[in-house]
Amino acid sequence: MHTCNKLSSKEKGKIEMTSKEKPTEVLNVKGEVCPYPDVKTQRKLKSMKSGEILEVLIDYPLSAERIPRSMEKQGHEVLKVEKKGTSEWSILIKVK
Amino acid sequence: MLSGLVVGLIFGFVLQRGRFCMNSAFRDILVMKEYTLLKAVALAIAVQMIGFHLMATMGWIQLNPKTLYWGAMIVGGFIFGVGMVLAAGCASGTTYRVGEGMVGSFVALLGLMIGAVVTNAGALAGLNSNLKSGTFKAITTADLGVDSGPLLKEGSTSLTLANIFGLDPWILVAIITVVALAVLIWKRGGEGAKAEGTLYEKIFKRGWNWWITGVAVGIVGIIAFPTFKEYALGISGGWLAFLNTLISGDPENLNWFTFLVIGIIVGAAIAAVIAGEFKLRAPDAKRLLQQFIGGLLMGVGAVIGTACNIGHILSGIPQLALGSILGGAFIILGCWVTAYIMFMRG
Repeated sequence: MHTCNKLSSKEKGKIEMTSKEKPTEVLNVKGEVCPYPDVKTQRKLKSMKSGEILEVLIDYPLSAERIPRSMEKQGHEVLKVEKKGTSEWSILIKVK
Repeated sequence: MLSGLVVGLIFGFVLQRGRFCMNSAFRDILVMKEYTLLKAVALAIAVQMIGFHLMATMGWIQLNPKTLYWGAMIVGGFIFGVGMVLAAGCASGTTYRVGEGMVGSFVALLGLMIGAVVTNAGALAGLNSNLKSGTFKAITTADLGVDSGPLLKEGSTSLTLANIFGLDPWILVAIITVVALAVLIWKRGGEGAKAEGTLYEKIFKRGWNWWITGVAVGIVGIIAFPTFKEYALGISGGWLAFLNTLISGDPENLNWFTFLVIGIIVGAAIAAVIAGEFKLRAPDAKRLLQQFIGGLLMGVGAVIGTACNIGHILSGIPQLALGSILGGAFIILGCWVTAYIMFMRG
């Protein structure tokens, strides 16, 4: 597991709290191919309200690395990227 | 032949660790505003451009740029570009992902092989040769009355960015690499969190930074050229020969690229298993069909256009081949048009 280390310790403390909250919605893109995990995540986030949390379940390595990067660039907050098992990740994103 | 397998193993490992896929690289500029993989591609081209010209100057290799079949390269490149978006991976991306256990990529690969065989010697062979003759005849150095210039294979009449202007290739290599490296260094940052962990974890457990990927892919190409002698890396030709061998039963059909592509799958599988990223998985039926059609188009486009993205963009552009620059440009155009229609509307 690795949490995003761009954040200050103060912010990390806040995230510890928020990431314990249940995600508002879960998007399962397991089995999907390039770039559907990214596109579906982007579309899902657009349909959600500010401050809500989306959990993305994913098994495609390239997108598992690219989604946190591009979603942060778009201003959303990536709370956690966790490797759940063999080629399986969970990504928690807080809508901006 | 066995050297192809060894280079393939290394290439497959690098592709999987670096997630090196040109479909993603070009498509993401448009769809995700993401430049990470594009930077890896650009760096790999620059590294090879220096390496190839250095080795040619030393006399270790002779550059072998592709003949400028302009009509075929425009049509074939565009078809290939459309195909790689539908297939969810270019020739290299599709091949390495088979090694990750992605069944959709396996289906796309079957399509690629069938499309290539059908275009090479089957129902589409007529179209293929029509696009390379008559009005669409190749343009050579003789047609333009220019000298082939230094470093090229003996008897080569292929046009390059250097010989068409009568320039020393090193002048262009110097200008292009300096500009490319300046842009890459200027735009290097902003890739998000740096990977933490031990060196072992950085190499075997996490995806590589773009610049490590770019240099590594470039080095694989530099190893490939003097090993194979005729050309650097290529993928579609290997799969064409693979299916031809299965159909004809004649092992004479096998070539260096066939061993290379088999090596890629094994190398990628090894990398994926070590990283805990190997898993058999498949999308739904609709997506599988889409990937199969994409694979077919890639096979058709690669044979018509005389190379896939690897043969043109990764190996041909560093040799300054005009044909590969043209073919590569239309691969990117096909990719962008399809990506726009599929992902950016609505």
